[in-house]
Amino acid sequence: MNGLSTFLGKEVAEFLRTWRVWVLVGIIVVMAVSSPVMARLTPLLLSSLETSGITITVPDPTWRDSYLQWAGNLGELVLFALIVMLGGVVAGELKSGTALLVLTKPLTRPAFLLAKFLANAGFVIAATVIGAVVTWVGTLWLFGEAPVRPLVASTAAWLVWAVCFIAVMVLVSSLVAQPLAGAGLGFGVYVLVSLVGVWGPARRWSPLGLLNGPTSLATGEPVALTWPIVTTVLLTAALLATAVVTFRRREL
Amino acid sequence: MADAAISIRGLTKHYGSTVALDGVDLDVPTGSVFGFLGPNGAGKTTTLRVLLGLTTASSGEVSVLGGRASSIDVRRCLGYLPDVPEFYPWMTGREVLRLSGRLFDLDASVLDARIEALLDLAGLTGVKQKVGGYSRGMRQRLGIAQALVNGPDLLLLDEPTSALDPIGRKDVLDMVAGLRGRATVFFSTHILADVERVCDQVAILDHGRVLEHAPLDDLKARHSRAHLALEVTGDATAFTEALRAQPWTGSVRPDVSGGLRVDLVDADAARLLAPRLVADFGLGLVRFEIAEASLEDVFLALVLPTAPITSGRAVA
Repeated sequence: MNGLSTFLGKEVAEFLRTWRVWVLVGIIVVMAVSSPVMARLTPLLLSSLETSGITITVPDPTWRDSYLQWAGNLGELVLFALIVMLGGVVAGELKSGTALLVLTKPLTRPAFLLAKFLANAGFVIAATVIGAVVTWVGTLWLFGEAPVRPLVASTAAWLVWAVCFIAVMVLVSSLVAQPLAGAGLGFGVYVLVSLVGVWGPARRWSPLGLLNGPTSLATGEPVALTWPIVTTVLLTAALLATAVVTFRRREL
Repeated sequence: MADAAISIRGLTKHYGSTVALDGVDLDVPTGSVFGFLGPNGAGKTTTLRVLLGLTTASSGEVSVLGGRASSIDVRRCLGYLPDVPEFYPWMTGREVLRLSGRLFDLDASVLDARIEALLDLAGLTGVKQKVGGYSRGMRQRLGIAQALVNGPDLLLLDEPTSALDPIGRKDVLDMVAGLRGRATVFFSTHILADVERVCDQVAILDHGRVLEHAPLDDLKARHSRAHLALEVTGDATAFTEALRAQPWTGSVRPDVSGGLRVDLVDADAARLLAPRLVADFGLGLVRFEIAEASLEDVFLALVLPTAPITSGRAVA
């Protein structure tokens, strides 16, 4: 694929030299730090809400609560941040005109898209791994116990879903003219997926199983995610292929 | 190289019900400097986009350097300067050229030397600021540099001098002229003086159709005439009608300074008879100037309809 390595290098450099690295890493690290802290403080906060005649009984928090916070933050806040950041992953370059600089040279349109997908997926994975380590350290410090396997399983399951959503964003951003429209479509997909995800069979056999799978895994609960993971990987490939086909035909 | 660096046959492009290109036929000879003229909305940029493979034609055939417009092999031999070049604002000019060169798989040592030469050509040597802080002129010059990074066989330029000062314009035009015979330059512009200065051949596009396509000298000889710039005192309405009826005049229309511009069929007769006609109508002669035809005359004659005649400018 002509120009892939060169353009991927440019994407990596852009990530490291612009606001994007600070926003993504910042959000994930804040979530990672706050997860064990919130897990630790939530019972105290709830207890302080007690009024006469009403007693709120909250079990002592454990590492499970910390990991649950982490998984919940990943599934919502971090994913929202990704949608906002990636709304213009392709549309932004088309709108600004920088796409003309590179797509009139020996850089194929598939390489253009794939480089964006790989760079963003790579950074999300790296930042999330850093966040997971921070969560583990915080959990161990605050709770004295932090098993590794549930955290790794939960984070890994979420990453499979996140990488798939990056492919969603590459596709929608390649279809629209404005970054805001790309983000809007991304949110639309998220809402649709969340609604359909309440249906049991969808969770068992499709990528929708990764919506809640990470939170279940975070508590150490065994969850069958083989089919959701397989279908998510297949869906990711299909989304990228669709993006390549449609972007090839797009008038620039 | 093929005989024609660019060959276009029956090119049409529709955007919905709008016809942007309507059966364009064009051949750009290899090694020539080819001027592509037209008013705003004529279809020049659309044509360029089809040549670059950014847009697909609705019908017709396009050959660029003997191949498909969008193929990677053809793109390796192209250089392109868009109308308003945009770059990644977080990069320096050097980094832009390095990215451009690496996309062409240029050898590192060759690329390093070429970057230095191109930065010098663009007057950007020693400029360390990021492109986000560049002026319009600096961006234009960087755009020209990146269009040349691969030593292209075909250079497609969209308004290359539009943002440049007179010195920058001269440098760019000298560079373009210097490429004649070594590369083919396809030069889309509004600035007729630039085309007259450096181009061998010209095509004039209007409403998606090629009105004329010929060597520059042939074009001027065929379409243009000497013209008379005439300014009189008083109400020139009746005088103007009489002027139009003369056998030695072509079109008569107001010029930008408020006088009259008369295309001449017979310049010698005009020198003798025009002042006599002015006197016959009791008008005073303010300006009387016969000039040879220019590309602007050809362009206006082909593209603009004859404007309605009004009175000459009255001088108190």
